[in-house]
Amino acid sequence: IMENKPVWEQIGAGFVQHYYQQFDTNRVLLADLYTDASCLTWEGQGFQGKNAIMEKLTNLPFQKIQHSITAQDHQPTPDSCVISMVVGQLKVDDDPVMGFHQLFLLKNIDNKWICSNDMFRLALHNFGC
Amino acid sequence: MSDGDYDYLIKFLALGDSGVGKTSFLYQYTDGKFNSKFITTVGIDFREKRVVYKSNGADGIAGRGQRIHIQLWDTAGQERFRSLTTAFFRDAMGFLLLFDLTNEQSFLNVRNWMSQLQMHAYCENPDIVLCGNKCDLEDQRAVKAEEAQELAEKYGIPYFETSAANGQNVAKAVEVLLDLIMKRMERCVDKSWIPDGVLRSNGHSSADGLPEDKTQETGKCSC
Repeated sequence: IMENKPVWEQIGAGFVQHYYQQFDTNRVLLADLYTDASCLTWEGQGFQGKNAIMEKLTNLPFQKIQHSITAQDHQPTPDSCVISMVVGQLKVDDDPVMGFHQLFLLKNIDNKWICSNDMFRLALHNFGC
Repeated sequence: MSDGDYDYLIKFLALGDSGVGKTSFLYQYTDGKFNSKFITTVGIDFREKRVVYKSNGADGIAGRGQRIHIQLWDTAGQERFRSLTTAFFRDAMGFLLLFDLTNEQSFLNVRNWMSQLQMHAYCENPDIVLCGNKCDLEDQRAVKAEEAQELAEKYGIPYFETSAANGQNVAKAVEVLLDLIMKRMERCVDKSWIPDGVLRSNGHSSADGLPEDKTQETGKCSC
């Protein structure tokens, strides 16, 4: 089925599957997906570069996390990148399930797809800002 | 549980580092009854409990009973992803600030939580009760009772060592918080300082309620 999809769908879906699998099993391995030019916006807070991003991701205060992807969309961009949007739910330790949104911009560098931009938000609506 | 037959609705918020036992604490207080209402779309988790509050007047005469509907709000784990913002704090009337007696860092972070509260709560000195939770795990204790007591005294707030596992002091801590709030209300003849939504008195006429109720004093506050 995968073979019949446009190439950007294959790239995007492959990345998304890999990203959350690494996130849920061993977050440290996510370092391979970012470069020193990558940007992460996590709940409105900005981080630039592999080191800053990994420091944020590995220090999130929980033991276990499980992502479940509800939907994902992918498009090619004019400069040959792939943009992916993910809507899903996550469960952390024994906390209740929460919704989230995440957006990735994927770029091909030296025949490898890396994440040049990453934006994450919980799907919560009880806040003023 | 949510019928309108009460005099006051009071919202409490449980705060503290992830893993200190906030959810278990609230669960224990509500007798383990699963009244938890989790609204996924808005990320609020709260439990409810009804109590009757009897004030002891300065004249020594036991006051009338007021039917209190307590809503206990849980942060539902979102503090792991984001810092809690103004909107989250401003609706709460009282705060249960928890740390884990077996985790020193969670105790050190009490100072941060206090400054967050002073910044974002409805006023600079809201009613707070400090709880050193997991006191049943005595062999793993990392925070001395005296240290915690000293910190609480510095802030002028009560301190309890609690166990969400066996229930020790859980109800006591909530009762003391409720008492602080009711005393604050009694001190303020003019309740207009209380922000919208923090304390909602019920429009329900309590003439048919508890016999000692005085309807002119209840259910008339429009804050």
